[in-house]
Amino acid sequence: MAYAGSTVHIACAFSIVELLAVLYRSHLRYPGNDPLAKGRDYLVLSKGHGVMAQYACMREKGWIGDKEIQGYFSDGSHLKGLSDSRNPGLEVTSGSLGHGFSVGVGLALGAKLNATDQKIYALVGDGEINEGPIWEGALFAAHHELNNLMIIVDENGYQAMGSTQEVLKLGSIQSKFESFGFKAMTVDGHDQAAIDDAIGELWSMASGAPRALIAKTVKGKGVAFMEHNNAWHYTRLDADTYRRALSAITGKA
Amino acid sequence: MRARLSATLVSIARADPKVLLLTGDHGYALFDEFRRECPAQYINAGVAEQNMVGVAAGLARSGFRPFVYGLSAFIPVRVLEQIKIDVAHDNLPVILLGDGAGFVYSYLGTSHQSTEDIACARVVPNLSVYSPADRFEAAACMQMAFESKTPVYLRIGKSDRGDVHEAVPQEKVGRLLPARTGTCAEIVFIATGALVRTAIDIAARSYPDAAVWSAPFIKPIDGEQVISICRPHRVVVVLEEHSVFGGLGSVVAEITSESSPVKVLRVGVRDRFSQCCGSYEYLLREHGLDAAAIEQRVRAYLSAN
Repeated sequence: MAYAGSTVHIACAFSIVELLAVLYRSHLRYPGNDPLAKGRDYLVLSKGHGVMAQYACMREKGWIGDKEIQGYFSDGSHLKGLSDSRNPGLEVTSGSLGHGFSVGVGLALGAKLNATDQKIYALVGDGEINEGPIWEGALFAAHHELNNLMIIVDENGYQAMGSTQEVLKLGSIQSKFESFGFKAMTVDGHDQAAIDDAIGELWSMASGAPRALIAKTVKGKGVAFMEHNNAWHYTRLDADTYRRALSAITGKA
Repeated sequence: MRARLSATLVSIARADPKVLLLTGDHGYALFDEFRRECPAQYINAGVAEQNMVGVAAGLARSGFRPFVYGLSAFIPVRVLEQIKIDVAHDNLPVILLGDGAGFVYSYLGTSHQSTEDIACARVVPNLSVYSPADRFEAAACMQMAFESKTPVYLRIGKSDRGDVHEAVPQEKVGRLLPARTGTCAEIVFIATGALVRTAIDIAARSYPDAAVWSAPFIKPIDGEQVISICRPHRVVVVLEEHSVFGGLGSVVAEITSESSPVKVLRVGVRDRFSQCCGSYEYLLREHGLDAAAIEQRVRAYLSAN
């Protein structure tokens, strides 16, 4: 996809691959494997820039096919560079940051009022939490005791124009969410077993509080020349970098 | 008008437990009855309008029917992007109630005055824009917005200028409503919101044979009807407590210019912020929107055209 596309948010997708893999494999419930099933759990990709990783998961689920993947960014493609809710499997239209989380808060409140056991996961970027509505939503979620809501922060340490340290210091994201009344944990966002355990442990806490999982990740994870190199926030692969990236991921020359 | 809005909302909410009212810490007395009658359906989302609209979108996705209330300067203008992306993009049935539109907050200044809202809202796909003139139109707009099951921005302006109809109009969405009948071929008035009353007063005083039409629906609007209202007249005067850019005057000019050109005088706020504060009537005078100033403009326009 990142080879087919003209310019793509490739590193933003690579930092959340393991998070999505664990969520889809072990936590998200889709009755009948239907992405539109009533009563499904919701995965709200608030950082729409990571959508390529979600397309890969949707292909694994059988919701989209190779043809659509190969047609990424071609004229008439439904799979856009940012999440579009009109594709079954994508719950929100995101890319303008700080939107999806609030919609997730509304879904969580709706599930509570409807007395369902649905779980709502909202995946946000660390750059994204610069946005004010994230903190409006955090206050609201804690006030309404939305303990069916988990915000997952992809803390890869970078945003579009630089490191979070350079742009707007975030300090401890975990303690920020704790001070807003969340039950929070920090985990290695590339260790699938640790992610799985942390999600399980957060849900197992007997509390009315919403949950926050801070995932320490590496932007561009898996491809050495992309890791910690913010040029790959929004860059396409050419023939050479595609070959090198593929070899780094598959281990084949 | 406000009592009627409140009563209509209460009756809609009592009939459907999926109705929720979200407010951005505004509403004071307007929602006393709602809170008494439907306490479980009332959510004060705090001074956090952006989150409130996103939450409403999530609730609509979960099968609820949210009404989102705020001052018109904030709902829809401050949260236009949330309305566009989170609500309108997927045609979710969220009703946005924007109160105090125009110069209602005449003493408070620019932050609370709202003369850009129609222009902002009407360019968002899927989003309808309603603008009632009296309690009867308000009740009809509220009911029709709910029944449409689509995103609607309902603009609530100055609400104590008296009735322009005698009963709740039985018409379809998009129709303009006669507020005063007349046969004058020289001039016809089309107005929305609080200025419908002004148009009626001006016509009664100076153009006794002129008709006045109220436009409670800015979008969608029945284009054929607009043309049939305008065509027989030499001059059409459109009045609104809103910018002359992008409001009802623009709507009428856009529609008529394509297939039935006619002289349209757009009376509204002429691309300026209020300079001073004072009573509502004072603010109208400052902007040249009091009946005397409008009459003078109309007379000058008629003699020049």
